Amino acid sequence: MFSQNLTLAWHFYRQQRQHRHQHLLRWVQTILMVFIVALSQTSAGIQAYLSQNLNNLLGADLVLSQLQALTESQHTELAAMSQQIVLTRSLTTTLTHNGTWQQATLKAVAADYPLHGELRSSTSLTGSETLSSAGPAAGEIWLDSRLLTSLSLRIGDPLAIANQKLTVTRVLQHEPDRLMEGHNVNMRALMHSLDFERFNFAADSVQHRYLIAANQAQIKQIIAWQQAHLPAAQLQHKQGAHPLALFWQRTENFIGLASVILFFMAAIAIQQLTQLQMRKEQFFSAVCLSLGTSKSTTVQVSVIKWLLGLLFLLPAVLLISALCHWALIQWLTPTFAGLSWQWNFRLAAQTVLATAAMFCVFQLSVWAGLYRASVAQLIHNTQRKLSHGLSLACAVLVLLAVAVAYSDNGLLTAMLLTAMAITIVFMLASSWLLLSIGEKLTSNISGLLPFALYMMRQRLLSKTTQILGIGLSAFLLLFSLMLLKDLGGSMQAYQRQHDGNLLVSQASSAQMADIASWATQHNVAIRQHKPFIYAKLTRVNGRHLADFSQKPSDSLATFNQPVRLHWNDDVPDNNRIIAGQWWQHGDSNWQQVAVEQEVMTDLGLKLGDRLSLFIAGHSIDLVIVASHAYKPGAGSITFWLQMPATALKHIAAPHYAMASLELANAQFALLGELWQVHPSLRMVSLQEMTQRFDTTLAMVTQVISGFSALIIMLAAIVIVSSVHAQEAREKQKNSIILSFGFSRATCLKLTAIEWLATAAIAATGAIMGTWLAGLLIYQSQFSLPYHPDFIWLLTTLAIILLLVTALGVVAAKHSLAGSVRQLMAE
Amino acid sequence: MPASAISRIELNNVSQSFTLHKKQVQLFSQLNLSIVQGQSYAITGPSGSGKSSLLMLMSGLEQPTEGQTSYMQDGRILPLNHLRAEIGFIFQQFHLLPELTALHNVALPLKLRGQKQAEQQATAWLEKVGLGHRLHHKPKQLSGGEQQRAAIARALVFEPRFIFADEPTGNLDTQSAAEIAELLFSCCQQKGAGLVMVTHSEQLAARAQHVFSFSHGNAALVEKGRPEVQCV
Repeated sequence: MFSQNLTLAWHFYRQQRQHRHQHLLRWVQTILMVFIVALSQTSAGIQAYLSQNLNNLLGADLVLSQLQALTESQHTELAAMSQQIVLTRSLTTTLTHNGTWQQATLKAVAADYPLHGELRSSTSLTGSETLSSAGPAAGEIWLDSRLLTSLSLRIGDPLAIANQKLTVTRVLQHEPDRLMEGHNVNMRALMHSLDFERFNFAADSVQHRYLIAANQAQIKQIIAWQQAHLPAAQLQHKQGAHPLALFWQRTENFIGLASVILFFMAAIAIQQLTQLQMRKEQFFSAVCLSLGTSKSTTVQVSVIKWLLGLLFLLPAVLLISALCHWALIQWLTPTFAGLSWQWNFRLAAQTVLATAAMFCVFQLSVWAGLYRASVAQLIHNTQRKLSHGLSLACAVLVLLAVAVAYSDNGLLTAMLLTAMAITIVFMLASSWLLLSIGEKLTSNISGLLPFALYMMRQRLLSKTTQILGIGLSAFLLLFSLMLLKDLGGSMQAYQRQHDGNLLVSQASSAQMADIASWATQHNVAIRQHKPFIYAKLTRVNGRHLADFSQKPSDSLATFNQPVRLHWNDDVPDNNRIIAGQWWQHGDSNWQQVAVEQEVMTDLGLKLGDRLSLFIAGHSIDLVIVASHAYKPGAGSITFWLQMPATALKHIAAPHYAMASLELANAQFALLGELWQVHPSLRMVSLQEMTQRFDTTLAMVTQVISGFSALIIMLAAIVIVSSVHAQEAREKQKNSIILSFGFSRATCLKLTAIEWLATAAIAATGAIMGTWLAGLLIYQSQFSLPYHPDFIWLLTTLAIILLLVTALGVVAAKHSLAGSVRQLMAE
Repeated sequence: MPASAISRIELNNVSQSFTLHKKQVQLFSQLNLSIVQGQSYAITGPSGSGKSSLLMLMSGLEQPTEGQTSYMQDGRILPLNHLRAEIGFIFQQFHLLPELTALHNVALPLKLRGQKQAEQQATAWLEKVGLGHRLHHKPKQLSGGEQQRAAIARALVFEPRFIFADEPTGNLDTQSAAEIAELLFSCCQQKGAGLVMVTHSEQLAARAQHVFSFSHGNAALVEKGRPEVQCV
């Protein structure tokens, strides 16, 4: 019996394989499965990579870092709570050699380094790595391969830093505590502590990192001690958040949202196609039942046929997924160094099964429809309403399952679902209103437009289904494109217009004086010069920062480090006040602060909040009195935190400056003089900044392109599916119109008008939904301010109208091929 | 109506054939026919003899393989495609649009022609065919006979000069078929429309003023009660 059913199902499957709706269904299933399988493989790879990194490459059980060195008593207390402490000191500087220069991080270690993990180095660029039990000896320096190449150095060459010569003896390959520095890609150099001390760098410009070996109880003890005694210090430990967690969480938020959007679009397409499939299956079953076959057999045949379809899809899906996974890994390797392609068979099987289960739920309505129907009902097609309702219920069930299981960010999914629900209600209401009013207003006008509106109004139910399908996919497409565009745009905003091509990001007073004399000597213009001190935000209204704001954002990530605090008496020319009031000149109340608008939003700050800032070993409270935003056109250097100049009398901290200079191309080579004297001087050229920015932007652009391509493909399938689902009716309508004596051109015009009206309602709904979703999601989930660009939205509206109408008319060519003869033949 | 105002469809030496599995199939050849507005015609014959093809040719929706077709209106000879705006169709399967009510189905051709009083005229026609009480019912809520009444009203509502009907009673019981036939003939007569029907029903065919019957296989058409019109 089973083999007979299998043969029948195989026969039926082969017959239907070439049908257009089956082609479309296969496309949707393939796109979705490839996306999910490739994504889950990549995601699992990254998670495994991060966790392995954390366990094996942490270099310590706990790392405490701050700008200053621990005092002797602090060190003694810490030592009492731990098994071993190893100190590393680092500083970002610019190294020069034979006229070339390169920014790099200098790290000084003693013989006790590394604490945990492996220190690996080699004797040449291409040589094999060897394990080193200790870092470089005094008088030696190890450079990483990029730095070595960049400075055109070879092993054995001398390298002068601050007029002291060190010998390059090895190529630095791997430091076990690198991970703690997040995903930074700075070039590196490792030297001995004794040499480092000879340079006499300012103590507050050197990052002191204490690698600590401790058990779990000791870790807890040290955390409590750090919060009480060193609140401004950074502490990372194996049980704590991963340094890449914020970055990855944001990425996962985006990927999660992208997956949910793709699922929703696929659901819309499958739902439209299911209607059509139901009719075909019902007809087949009617024939089988009328020939004496039992209902269970027809359902069994249908199930086997569906399984066959899925089975034959799998080889292609797995092959494409593996290729996509490989491409993704290649693409991510620069960010996650050492990440390698690995295929997780178990995960692949689980993903495929889960996706198949979801497709199966969609199919349930078809099988239920077949099982519950009688021959008479099947022939008269009276069961459709029940099955139609069931198919909608199945679609909703799948979407809810996806929303609950797949998205690990419930709030984000809830927001998207809310926006979708409101969009649906809006599109339903606007379809009804516009078609009803349109029909009423045009009832006394002759022509095709009134007729098209009349027909659409009469077929409101089927038209609304079509409008909803297209509108929702347009909404999801538009929202994704807008989000991707704005993410890219927000990155572009970092590259503000510079009035200078060299930015000094930190210079001490002595360094600044030397820069000024150097500039005068070489006739270089200093465009801007703004002073600041470093402050670490520790508490807001008495609550620890980590407790006050738990939402990941760039601002929060930056506040984990000391930030620049600027002072002034007047609002800077390149700032404007958004809320509150700036202090008066010579105001006696010095405990005031103005905070940048985006920071306020990111951290959830409001006027009147009290910020506790740790400055040069002292905690100082400032109250937020204003929020400001960057105003272009008057210089690019701006600060997140600004206080009254009078506050300086109460704060004793080293002063630094930011500055921008305009150099001629030939003058860049002269910078070596400054760096030789001041290796810790932080300067970056515009070319260098642009290069870094371009790399990141290229990554975002690739995400945009790849994701948009998938969404556009699915949106096109939704439109074609919705046309296909209505094809029989449209064909009948066109044939009837032909039988009234009208030409095919009339039918074509009517189709175009109907699609234009459909597209207009769908696009309006989509834009409304996009605006709403932007309002709900942008700030909350991506820390982006939402400023809808209405010109962009209207342009998109016009493009959607044009494309949907064109695609609708092209896809409707089959329904335009109807004829009176076909009506006679039926 | 003056004789010159009466329209006429002329088929001269018309042949129709098609290719099936690389073989030429001849439906009919060298056919000469004249269809006059206000008269009724029935085309009978076995299945596959070419009745529907002949109907398509007469209505100008298809071109013959050979021969000439023309349309005479107000004393002028025009190509047959000028007839397009002057014809209405009635089908065996009724082909009412399922999502529209009877009223909206009948109003459809008028709306398409931009007539402002479409629904009033449609109502009047539905009352005329006895469906005044079923205006707002959808096709699924109407019986077969009622659906065909609505289809007749839809075909005649824009007052075409010719009605082409393909098995108009083929899907109905004897009683309904008789009523529909009565309605169809009387409406066409009343509006002065020419009626051309394809039918297997001898009773229905007998009501027509002219009956053309395909005989001698698929090759010949005979006007009953008269000498053979054309024979190959």
